[in-house]
Amino acid sequence: MQLIIDGILEAVRLLLSGDSEVLAVTWLSIKISGLATLLSLTIGIGAGTALALAEFPGKRLVVAVVNTGMGLPPVVVGLFVTIFLWRNGPFGHFGLLYTPAAMVIAQGIIATPIVTGISLAAIQSLPANLRLQILALGASRFQIIMLLVREARLPLLAAVMAGFGGVISEVGASIMVGGNIKGQTRVLTTATVMETGKGNFDTAIALSIILLFLTFLVNLMLTMVQQKRRAR
Amino acid sequence: MTSPLLEARGLSLQRGGVDVLKNVSLTVQENDVLALIGSNGSGKTSLMLALARLMPVNKGDVLVSGEAINGKNAGLAYRRRLAMVFQEPLLLNGSVAKNVATGLNLRSMPRQELQERVDEALELFGITGLSRRSAHSLSSGEARRVSLARAFAMRPEMIFLDEPFTALDLPLREALFLQLSKLLNSKGITAVIATHDCREVLQLCNRMAVMNKGRLIRSGTPDDVLADPPDDFSAAFARHAKSFNA
Amino acid sequence: MNKIVWLIAAAVLSLSSVALAAPKSIILATTTSTQDSGLLDALVPQFEKESGLQVKTISVGSGQAMKMGEKGEADVLLVHSPDAEKKFMADGSGTTRRLVMHNDFIIVGPAADPAGVRKAGSSIDALKRIAQSGSLFASRGDNSGTHAKEKGLWKGAGITPDGQKWYQQTGLGMGQTLNVAAEKRGYTLTDRATFLALKKNLGLVILSEGDSRLLNIYHVIEINQTRWPMVNAAGGKLFADFMISRKTQDTIGHFGIEKFGAPLFFPDAGKNPASLGL
Repeated sequence: MQLIIDGILEAVRLLLSGDSEVLAVTWLSIKISGLATLLSLTIGIGAGTALALAEFPGKRLVVAVVNTGMGLPPVVVGLFVTIFLWRNGPFGHFGLLYTPAAMVIAQGIIATPIVTGISLAAIQSLPANLRLQILALGASRFQIIMLLVREARLPLLAAVMAGFGGVISEVGASIMVGGNIKGQTRVLTTATVMETGKGNFDTAIALSIILLFLTFLVNLMLTMVQQKRRAR
Repeated sequence: MTSPLLEARGLSLQRGGVDVLKNVSLTVQENDVLALIGSNGSGKTSLMLALARLMPVNKGDVLVSGEAINGKNAGLAYRRRLAMVFQEPLLLNGSVAKNVATGLNLRSMPRQELQERVDEALELFGITGLSRRSAHSLSSGEARRVSLARAFAMRPEMIFLDEPFTALDLPLREALFLQLSKLLNSKGITAVIATHDCREVLQLCNRMAVMNKGRLIRSGTPDDVLADPPDDFSAAFARHAKSFNA
Repeated sequence: MNKIVWLIAAAVLSLSSVALAAPKSIILATTTSTQDSGLLDALVPQFEKESGLQVKTISVGSGQAMKMGEKGEADVLLVHSPDAEKKFMADGSGTTRRLVMHNDFIIVGPAADPAGVRKAGSSIDALKRIAQSGSLFASRGDNSGTHAKEKGLWKGAGITPDGQKWYQQTGLGMGQTLNVAAEKRGYTLTDRATFLALKKNLGLVILSEGDSRLLNIYHVIEINQTRWPMVNAAGGKLFADFMISRKTQDTIGHFGIEKFGAPLFFPDAGKNPASLGL
């Protein structure tokens, strides 16, 4: 118990003193996971919507693949991204392994199926004739997608939160592709693992608290937006 | 003789082994108000969707003013000449005014003109007072009228209405009937209305067509068709209609 | 709509700034002990400043580090598993191998010392006592330098600990393995540097030390570029030279004195390996 209290005190101390390393690690977490989430939103919302609206043989198979992807073990993603990015891999000459870019890629791959799956469900939950009605109102292909996405924005915001929450708390893939390098690819989760391994439990707890607080803050903001729209 | 505004030639659609539409041909002249009657599942909605080119068919053509609508010109340009109102209101998130403006916004209409059209449409259906209300807080009758206002605000050349009077209580039906009859008579819109309602058919429509299991089995003036109904459904319809004759 | 376009543009820009700003770099594959003791945190920034290179320090066990070297996925190694290193060099995976420093291993355990390790005459004797008493022993189990040393000692004692109930292989780094030993009040083999750095939280004590078998020797190995063209051999050489430079050797020799009262590592560059009993 004392350890946890020590951790909380250490967290406060680290934040208030503006400890540069903690700030750097926190800021990098936000940047990398934020970018990965943004990437996954761009691909996922479009793919989920297109999949919801399209009709083709084998659609159910594709949907099953997406749903499986939602539960993809992050560490598996990490392993395969590492294999692709290391020097002798197909993308080795980009020199991306052990860089923040590699972490964005890995986290993006983890988040995209989640966003796609939730978007798919969100669009499918709209009334069946809505697409026809919007077509009949004179919407172009692009306008249809915009309107449907706007109609489904409550569950889609849930997709944003799920995507972000999933990647900012991810550690396995991040260590593998990032290497937990101080000042370059060390983020809150990987730093926590390292500090625990070193036995610096109060620092580890402090970092955990910061991570929890960060996740809570982001979800609070998004939830307020989501619920505000609801209460009309 | 001018070519009909809207013409269907041999429309056929099969889905899951069932004939949704079977070799349907019909003509609609400009300013016609055509009633489509038939039991549920007879193909009324499918026919309207096919005419509006919102749904593809296996065989057949749709012609507008003698010009075939397929391939390239079946797209956006054609859709923007017509409007369709479904049985469910299918309103979007937002206020009533925003909903009524939907079609106009899609066409990037300038603000001033848009506002005038919206006000006009709200007035036509007696829902001006609802303009600021959220679309999701409306009763079904109110929502229905918003959906209609949204369609008419676009001043379409042709309009397809799918059972506009269904599930409305009597006072609402009266009101809607008056509003529609004024609109259809004065503005010279060409309309196709799928309906079960006798009175409205007889007093709004100048043409009638009977659908049965995907086929169009009869068309003509309402008097002609009902004098010699081609199937049980239209026979019952005719009996009902007689009791309205004043 | 415009907002979305701006967001995407901003994202692409930051992504490129994150990716493309990379200066030339080298990948240093090393062990957890050099990282966890804090030694690299003291040396690497100095090297980066002097060379202008960015160092990507990947701390895994010596075994994994050498595997990375074998595949050309690292530019330079700092490891402490001499037998495996010799094989590595014999295979031609490395071009140059130079002695850097040493410290020693120690056997730590609970103060109560149920196996009586304190009374042991040598490190081999200590392990025999642990096996005989069936006391819990936490092993790295990860082909690291420490693990290799440990396996050598069991062999010398004529004992096969694998599969025995009291022998627990964690597969984790030194710091975490020490934690496991501390939690379960068991014994483990550790390098002195990591133990000193973590001592305060553990509640374990040193029970066997000083045996010549317990010497822990670190070498820096440059990876063979002719085999793997993508290896940054020039950068690797710069780092290796840095590690044996007088200034760095001096830093190594003083590291830890302030904090722990004794140095954690002993600089050895240029010495005759025989003098260390290798």
